[in-house]
Amino acid sequence: MKIKNAVIAISLVTSSVVMGLGASSAYADWPTKDIHLVVPYSAGGNTDVLSRQVADLLQKELDVNIIVENRPGAGSTVATGRLARGGRDADHTILMASPGHVIGASIYPNLPYDAVNDFKFIEKLLDAPNIMVVPSSSPYNTVAEFITAAKSKPMTFSHPGVGSSIHMSGELFKTLTKTKLTAVPFPGSGAALPALLSGDVDVSFENASTVLPHIQSGGLKALAVTSKTRFKALPDVPTVIETEGYDLGGFVTTVWNGVIAGNGFPDEGVEVLQAALQRVKERKEFTEFIDKMGAEKSSVSGEDFKSFIASEVERWKMVAEEAGVRQN
Amino acid sequence: MENFSEVLSLFFVWDNFIAIAIGVFLGVVIGAIPGLTTTMAVALALPFTFSMEPVSAILLLVGIYKGGMYGGSITAILIRTPGTPASACTLLDGYPMAKNGEAKKALKMSLYSSVIADIISNISLIFFAAYLAKIALNFGAPEFFWLICFSLTIIVSLSGGAVLKGFLAAALGLMISLVGLDPVYGSQRLTFDDYNLMDGISFIPLLIGLFAIPEVIDFYQRKVASKIVISANGTEVSWSEFKKCFKTIVRGSFIGVIIGAIPGSGATAAAFISYSEARRKSPNRENFGKGEIEGVAAAEAGNNGVAGATMIPLLSLGIPGDVVTAIILGAFMIHGLTPGPLMFQDNLSLIYALFIGIMVSSLFLLVVGLGAIKYFSKIADVPKEILFPIIVMFCVYGAYAVNNNTFDIWLMMGFGVLGYIFNKTGIASAPFLIGFILGPMFEDNLRRSLLIGNYDMSIFFRGPITWFFIVLTLGSIFFSFKRWLAYRNK
Repeated sequence: MKIKNAVIAISLVTSSVVMGLGASSAYADWPTKDIHLVVPYSAGGNTDVLSRQVADLLQKELDVNIIVENRPGAGSTVATGRLARGGRDADHTILMASPGHVIGASIYPNLPYDAVNDFKFIEKLLDAPNIMVVPSSSPYNTVAEFITAAKSKPMTFSHPGVGSSIHMSGELFKTLTKTKLTAVPFPGSGAALPALLSGDVDVSFENASTVLPHIQSGGLKALAVTSKTRFKALPDVPTVIETEGYDLGGFVTTVWNGVIAGNGFPDEGVEVLQAALQRVKERKEFTEFIDKMGAEKSSVSGEDFKSFIASEVERWKMVAEEAGVRQN
Repeated sequence: MENFSEVLSLFFVWDNFIAIAIGVFLGVVIGAIPGLTTTMAVALALPFTFSMEPVSAILLLVGIYKGGMYGGSITAILIRTPGTPASACTLLDGYPMAKNGEAKKALKMSLYSSVIADIISNISLIFFAAYLAKIALNFGAPEFFWLICFSLTIIVSLSGGAVLKGFLAAALGLMISLVGLDPVYGSQRLTFDDYNLMDGISFIPLLIGLFAIPEVIDFYQRKVASKIVISANGTEVSWSEFKKCFKTIVRGSFIGVIIGAIPGSGATAAAFISYSEARRKSPNRENFGKGEIEGVAAAEAGNNGVAGATMIPLLSLGIPGDVVTAIILGAFMIHGLTPGPLMFQDNLSLIYALFIGIMVSSLFLLVVGLGAIKYFSKIADVPKEILFPIIVMFCVYGAYAVNNNTFDIWLMMGFGVLGYIFNKTGIASAPFLIGFILGPMFEDNLRRSLLIGNYDMSIFFRGPITWFFIVLTLGSIFFSFKRWLAYRNK
């Protein structure tokens, strides 16, 4: 009896080892099938357009099909929640994350996932600054002038939806400068622009790609850029941090995009994708594409990407609480 | 003169004609399939345009947009399933016409009306872009608020005789539109902590459920298939009918143009406003909703009038008025072009080549549309025992495809039951839709105006545009009330 048990035990152990080996070697030549790239927004936005371009280039690098899937809903949280849950094809599913990933986590405390620990952070692709713009008819020409005015009277800023990076940038600015700015929501940047051009609202912290043409045509004045360093396309425009007389060191907000996956995604896949995406970033097509978007390449990857996400979640959580947009 | 030849050489290349043809064809087919939206089609086509010449690239996308606007009406008329949100209004009279055996007539009227509206919209784009763009910039939240108030008064005229039931339906629509995130604070309203409801109720599942499913239930309940006559054959649009509708088409087109030129308004609202205006002015008022050809003409003129006009803020100001034009803006940028005032200085030839292409696309729409009617209308000849299960399949697919979410299928079914109850109790579904579409715009613009004006009410009376719509609104209420009194005393 004992021998029989021992045989069973040994065979169980060996088979599990063999199966284990099988499981680990199953990903040795990842990807083994088509890769699904989930876009957590509807077709047509910046993230969507970027994803389709990246899918096209990644396809050339990896020699498998990259299927772009739009799964919009509740900011980006529906698609992200699904990614965290895993399920079928989880080992070949990646997602194009954006600031919505961290802002969602900072606004909604009851999300069914942990924005930092439930994901593998593969590669951050790009950063683009927001630009602090005022109508051309505005009497203010510098950030300092604007702050002085906004301290003495109620003023407004436009944004394309609660929880967008543009909205949160405005709230952060309001908190840091202790001004009386009121957030005015619009359904998308397209609807917000006329209000800004006509002077119905006083300021906005819009994406560079949206407002650059209007700065060039003179419809809007750029007071500052929100990135750490000055922006290539507008070398004469200072950063918000440079504002004299105010400590605005904490005011750095960029719009970024990066590829993430759920925890069920194999490490081999992460390595293959990191290498492939780094090659994609070197391609001429990619460089030209993000130039036109008014963005700059990011060189953050893996663990660094993860710690970036962790610090962003904490930061926006504080801003959301200050602004009263954190939901309980 | 040198410019002129440059324009011609930019436009008269085969690629442009092929791009327009493919675009319009794809648009019509995709528009006709419930659940596949024009936005989706334009977004999917975008990567293919990267390697094309700028003029061909933009024309391909514009072609899809225009084709889609029309295509939605085909299934709305034939199987009471609107292919796109904007065609929901076409269905109100289009489907009853089909049921009376006038499917072909309805489809043709819808096409003629679409093409005429499209051409009027293009002409407005070419000649009045600068002027209309100025109006668009002066059209802020308070102006929008009054426009919506005026539009809401049409609930009375769309309720049939039953005004009280109409208001009830509108209130229900309004209530359902409240589901989702609060536009100012982002707090959840009526979502019951369900993430599927956080973005609100999706429009397409609601439409499909509300209109298509009740027909199916009704069919199986009666089981008298042969008695429902839907035929694609039947008479053509006669010259006198066309003449009768022409004024309506022109009026609807201009309503579409003005609404299209204002960023953020949309084709669906334009269709309903045009429809209700047509009803208000028509001697056949009573026949609207029962298969009135003028109703079809008005709805299609309204929504197609929008297509060319949405290019006005895009080209002259660089502002995309809706998601589709936002994608087209992306296409411009990818080709190193920046729409806006500067483009009229730097790339004038290209703009004129585009204008020619946009005009040509209207003619292609006519040709492709006639072909589509010929083939799509065969749907109507399929035996109903086979057709209805297929419709249900498309309903389920269409509801799912919008967000790739099974929750929307249940939503669609739920609205199917609601639509059935509406039919049985004689509640018109049009006011329900108006409440659902215009309700959020009303709330948004009211709250936005108050925020911009720092809660000072005088912002609602700030200029000639606000006063214009205030007078229209009061006039509309007055005349509706007078008509209602006359109706009651009869």
